[in-house]
Amino acid sequence: MNINHLILRNLKKNLKNYYLYVFALVFSSALYFAFVTLQYDPALDDTTGTIKGGAGLRAASILLIAIVSIFLLYANTIFIKRRSKEIGLFQLIGMPKKRIFRILSVENFILYACSLLIGIFIGFSFSKVMIMILFKITNINAIATLHFSVKALTQTLIVFGVIYLFIMIMNYAFIKSQTILSLFKVSSVTENITKRISVVEIIIGILGIIFIASGYYISSRLFSGSFGTMNEITLAMLTILASVIIGTYLFYKGSVRFLLNIVRKSKNGYLNINEVLSLSSIMFKMKSNSFMLTVITTISALAIGFLCLSYISYYSIGALARESVPDDFTISSSKDANLFETTLENEHIPYTEKRIEVIFMKVNMENIIKSGINSSSTMILPVVSEKDVKGVKLSEKETLLTGYNDALKGMMSFKSSGYVEIKGKHNVISQNFIGINRKFVISTAFTRTNLPSVIVDDKVFRQLKKDINPSIQNDSSLYIGVNLQNVDDSIKANKIFKRTEFDANGVNLSRMGMVASQKQMMGVIMFVVGFLGLTFLITSGCILYFKQMDESENEKSNYTILRKLGFTDKDLIKGIRIKQIFNFGIPLVIGLSHSYFAVKSGWFYFGKELWAPMIIVMFLYTILYSIFGILSVLYYKKVIKQAL
Amino acid sequence: MNIVEATSIRKSYGNKFNKQEVLKDVNLQITKGEFIGIMGTSGSGKTTLLNVLSSIDKINSGSIKIVGNEISSMKEKHLADFRQKHLGFIFQDYNLLETLTVKENILLPLTITKTPSAVANKKFEKLAKQLGIYELQDKYPNEISGGQKQRTSAARAFINEPSVIFADEPTGALDSKAASDLLNKLTELNESRHATITMVTHDPVAASYCERVVFIKDGKIYSQLYKGKGTRKSFFEDIMKTQGLLGGQQYEY
Repeated sequence: MNINHLILRNLKKNLKNYYLYVFALVFSSALYFAFVTLQYDPALDDTTGTIKGGAGLRAASILLIAIVSIFLLYANTIFIKRRSKEIGLFQLIGMPKKRIFRILSVENFILYACSLLIGIFIGFSFSKVMIMILFKITNINAIATLHFSVKALTQTLIVFGVIYLFIMIMNYAFIKSQTILSLFKVSSVTENITKRISVVEIIIGILGIIFIASGYYISSRLFSGSFGTMNEITLAMLTILASVIIGTYLFYKGSVRFLLNIVRKSKNGYLNINEVLSLSSIMFKMKSNSFMLTVITTISALAIGFLCLSYISYYSIGALARESVPDDFTISSSKDANLFETTLENEHIPYTEKRIEVIFMKVNMENIIKSGINSSSTMILPVVSEKDVKGVKLSEKETLLTGYNDALKGMMSFKSSGYVEIKGKHNVISQNFIGINRKFVISTAFTRTNLPSVIVDDKVFRQLKKDINPSIQNDSSLYIGVNLQNVDDSIKANKIFKRTEFDANGVNLSRMGMVASQKQMMGVIMFVVGFLGLTFLITSGCILYFKQMDESENEKSNYTILRKLGFTDKDLIKGIRIKQIFNFGIPLVIGLSHSYFAVKSGWFYFGKELWAPMIIVMFLYTILYSIFGILSVLYYKKVIKQAL
Repeated sequence: MNIVEATSIRKSYGNKFNKQEVLKDVNLQITKGEFIGIMGTSGSGKTTLLNVLSSIDKINSGSIKIVGNEISSMKEKHLADFRQKHLGFIFQDYNLLETLTVKENILLPLTITKTPSAVANKKFEKLAKQLGIYELQDKYPNEISGGQKQRTSAARAFINEPSVIFADEPTGALDSKAASDLLNKLTELNESRHATITMVTHDPVAASYCERVVFIKDGKIYSQLYKGKGTRKSFFEDIMKTQGLLGGQQYEY
């Protein structure tokens, strides 16, 4: 048997053991190649293309490399440790370290090159599917055409080549630094040094729970007005981040053990098989893996959080647009409006029109702001007359605010009554504040601010109009809203709107166009975040799986004992299932709950609907994630079967 | 009364073309309350014999009856059931679960039979005191010595009062003091509980604690020695002699 034989044989064996690793490698190279191909695709060109997402994809591909390289390097440390005995044996029979290194390099190279080639092939065929998904979610009607990009190919090869090089350097360092004796020891040094729980651990355990809980508490108060200024909010956010991450670490370090220890103590030494397999082993393992678990939990929380938020935004684009853009078309000059309306009439599209005069005034709201993050309570607000707003009747002294959405609610909250001061150029008038409505009368795109509009009595409005400060006015003080009578006409009308040659200086908007462009933007973001999240999910799932693979082999002797004692393999597998529910479930549940609190604290900046998109995202994540748990149980099954 | 009755058992490994017969027509009876030793050189088949007797390995032909049950034809599920009721094990390398305390390890077999925990605790207390490990109950295996580990392992084997206990080189990893300690305890338990113990060993000192020693050579029973009324020392010398005849290692004494 020569060396080539040896390499081939090792490969065969490894492929069986590490099919998931190969899968992750193929998947990530495919995804990377697809991203890069998309990036070089003319459809995505920032200037001429249909989708403006080149920058997003570029950022995504860099993040992807970061995730993938950390994963590959980490997985490699697991593998090389597993093979330390074999390496020791080679050394023992007199093989020089250089040659061992060569064997490993060639083996890895074959594994790598094959996965990469398959990955690139799949990535290429997949990129068409991907661009179709992208077109679909961004609502673009285009036929996906793709060309094999040599540039993308070289970039992929270079990037993965560099990662391979790093892995080789790592392996080299590992082989170099080991002596024969220590090589034999690596895998026999069990990670769990079983010790009884100490007071320090109990304290760590309690602290961990406290840290997480306080992080959650602060996050729930974050935008409720408890924090006045932007600085305070930033500080609070950092506090949350720190306390949750530290809390998570301490949780794995101590709390899991502490909690399980309480359960175990109550059993008074009488543990059944399920408890033996789950409780006792998790108690020791979680602690030694606490750093890795913290990283996985934190990043999966981030991934789920971003996925939720981007999906929430995407999900509520339509609803948000209807809320903040009240009319189908917004036009800011009579001339443009006439131009557009004539065309509509020619095409026999029925419509209604509303004209609202809008002036901008400085308004001092000090008296009515309950809490807010803006340091100044005097703001420039759009002012409209009550006669232009349907269903509002005010007396001379009264003032109503309108256009108060959840995003604004997060930034400032109002008292139910009080007074406001409206400042003109010369005079200041004081008005009774009677409340705030949700409804928007004029488009926020027209007013160029997210702040509410002020409604006053018509008489007051005319007075104010004489006293305006010209420097804070918009180019046009006329807001023209055009609404279609039949929804069915909207596509046709939108086409007309696009065709119409408006004055370049005016603010002319179509709601449909806005929705489409936002959908495009959010679609690209969601697409990128989605695939990054998927990559992360797969890589972290793989790492947990590998860890479990290791653990199952370390515990094989235990299974032998248990089976000799008369437990059936079914008993054992039942226990293992519970154990895996904990092993995979704890990081998942903590990750989900972190992201839940993160999303909940600020979701209203992103959209209108929290539950549906969040539950969909979390559900999908859980399903995909549990596949790895199930695979690990299957692996355990094999080990247990072999144990006797 | 015979607890174990093995009649003309055969066991071979390998395939049709390359067959290695490990047990060739072995007959063995073990009566209740007996402390029996099985000796033989490496490769003589003593561990295989123990494995087939204890239902961990299957035989090719013959019959093994334990307390009247034919175990060679039992299905895996019944075997597991049978093992938990009738068999106890002590291994050379203790085979304690590292993640469980001494007490938890010992009580493990009782959880299979779902013994009420009050009964279990009582049994534990009595047995652990007898073996001198009661004070260690909350310690983990890596905090106690080899001898203590082996006594824990023994306690686990005895706790459910099995019909027969199989010990595979129980003193193999112990120093001579701990070994004689353990063997004394085993003898005590054998007498006080009328427990049947089958021990495989290659150490003549350990074997001399038994009442009967069966010698195996090349997969067959070569001879049997009874202690009878003699002292342990004279029994030891008999064993040495037989072992010499067997062609095993000669001991200077």
